[in-house]
Amino acid sequence: MNCENINMEITSNPELVSIIRLTVSGIANKMGFSMEDIDDLKVCISEACTNAIKHSNDTKFRVDFNIFKNKLEIKVKDEGIGYDHNSLQKPDFNELKESGMGIFIIKSLMDEVSIESEDKKGTTINMTKYLGVDS
Amino acid sequence: MINIESKIIDSCWNVSLSGELDVSNCNELKVYLNELLEKEMLNITLDIKNLEYIDSTGLGVIISILKVLKSNEKEISIMNARDNIKKILNITGLDKIFNLEG
Repeated sequence: MNCENINMEITSNPELVSIIRLTVSGIANKMGFSMEDIDDLKVCISEACTNAIKHSNDTKFRVDFNIFKNKLEIKVKDEGIGYDHNSLQKPDFNELKESGMGIFIIKSLMDEVSIESEDKKGTTINMTKYLGVDS
Repeated sequence: MINIESKIIDSCWNVSLSGELDVSNCNELKVYLNELLEKEMLNITLDIKNLEYIDSTGLGVIISILKVLKSNEKEISIMNARDNIKKILNITGLDKIFNLEG
């Protein structure tokens, strides 16, 4: 299927995450996503970028947008230290941990999510949101 | 950008947040709230009527402050959350941990 692409390479600076949010907001708005979906996309892309910035130990990461008629695919990729994502558990809020919520939030708000991560080879978070689908 | 204002109302820290709370500024809020509690250990009410955005980093700060408060038998309340923020609190189950008002 035909799609349009926007590819960004970003230095691992927390100050830049708000700019990435504006970018996804602009793209999703142009595609016709609802305000609620746009809010979801902003949170999910921030969580993915925050993961790359805080945990990859890489100095930069990539964000790729694939824009289809009926869906937006977002890939956030770093070439940092990677981790075993199978070890991530659903957060237990009786324990009240300050971290570990990001991936859980992404999986709750996006329609499709896949995570590839390998020790010392980096992490890629792929996420998709469909237009006009209530999730 | 986050803007933080605080004052004591009825023996409670009333803290108003406006702007966006994310990885770039969550530590600023953490330091600010810890300093308030060092000045005076009181319940905290977070008025987030003008907070447009929060993610897990901001929630992490609120959880860490909740822990400090709980160990001193104090509480935190969150007032006037917008719908997008209520949704995040809801899916993370934190709406059952924090006292939500308004």
